[in-house]
Amino acid sequence: MSAVPEGQQPQAVEPGKRGFVPWLLRRLGLVDTMEDQYNRIVPRHASNYIYCFGGIALVLFIILAFTGIMLAVYYQPTPATAYQSVLDISTKVQFGWWIRSIHRWAAGGMVLLVFVHMLRVFFTGAYKAPRELNWVTGVVLFVVTLSFGFTGYLLPWDQKAYWATKVGTDIAGSVPVIGHFLLVSLRGGEQISAATLGRFYDLHVLVLPAIIILLLFGHFWMIRRQGISGRL
Amino acid sequence: MLIALVNAGASRRQRSGVTRRGFLKWLIAGFGAVSLAGVLYPVLRFLKPPAAVSGAIGQVVDIGALSAFPAGRLTAVAVNDQPAVVANVNGAYTVYSLICTHLGCVLAVQDDGLHCPCHGSDFSASGAVLKGPAKLPLPPYHSRVQSGSLLVGPIDLSKASYPGWYKGEFQ
Repeated sequence: MSAVPEGQQPQAVEPGKRGFVPWLLRRLGLVDTMEDQYNRIVPRHASNYIYCFGGIALVLFIILAFTGIMLAVYYQPTPATAYQSVLDISTKVQFGWWIRSIHRWAAGGMVLLVFVHMLRVFFTGAYKAPRELNWVTGVVLFVVTLSFGFTGYLLPWDQKAYWATKVGTDIAGSVPVIGHFLLVSLRGGEQISAATLGRFYDLHVLVLPAIIILLLFGHFWMIRRQGISGRL
Repeated sequence: MLIALVNAGASRRQRSGVTRRGFLKWLIAGFGAVSLAGVLYPVLRFLKPPAAVSGAIGQVVDIGALSAFPAGRLTAVAVNDQPAVVANVNGAYTVYSLICTHLGCVLAVQDDGLHCPCHGSDFSASGAVLKGPAKLPLPPYHSRVQSGSLLVGPIDLSKASYPGWYKGEFQ
């Protein structure tokens, strides 16, 4: 039996607080925080499917991040190889068609669910004080989600992708005063080229993911601080 | 049946040492493990590079000893995971693609030629079109005999003007 030094008596662990996760939380000083989070009660009026849309959008985002990382293993963002590499993913890589289809359908689903979540927040008046900032981050998140869709659409580098990007960047070019700057910045030149593909790929896999993760963190932090809005 | 199993377990708890809680924990862990495996399996298969994507196409490969290709016969082989056929006409070896030039089906090897099971095209033993709807002949592979083996290199698409999707099969 080894002697325990004075003042360092091991604290008795309460029953039900054994196991790895409670052990870790004690070390990280997060016991009270997590207890607070676990003990939140979902209000009766929010136990409703229309309050699930935001959460489903988050699940779709996680699926998109995961399948996107996988697609990036084979995708090659150059004009000469982009289309062929997408074709290879769909026809030659095992389960490639599956991963790509999940990415494509989850992308459409996320746009839809973010929008429906926005409608829910609007019609239940959940944007009102003190939650104005969460509405603002939500609107930015919606724009970021659409930007993901727009930049991802170019990556297969087929005719539809080319002309959708032509039209989309033309619209950006129609903005007064700064329009031409926007158009050239997006395209990396006057015309759609290898530079455009590189820039859209950069936005799709580096810039937008960084932005969306920061915004999501703010979005969820605020909903936890402010709580779910009251009933209608 | 499950409920009967759990009840039986509860009444025999002292003997078996299995509690209802323990049993359900294992059950949930089992379902979780199966679900996880269902996701992990496709993911790991996805990461394994197929020959066609890793750039193996076009490399010279040894497809076997000459004795495997008897004279006057058509022998189906795989060249870099792509279907092909070896024609031995009196000791002259030619390797053709087995992918139909019409819509990309894999041809069936018959005694005197090749037949497409999808749309009925027929090709001769030398790859020429005998019957449509295919219009273009089967492209040969570059090949040579070396120390009793047949070596096959990249496909030769210069004999006719092949459509892009068909060339894509070999890129």
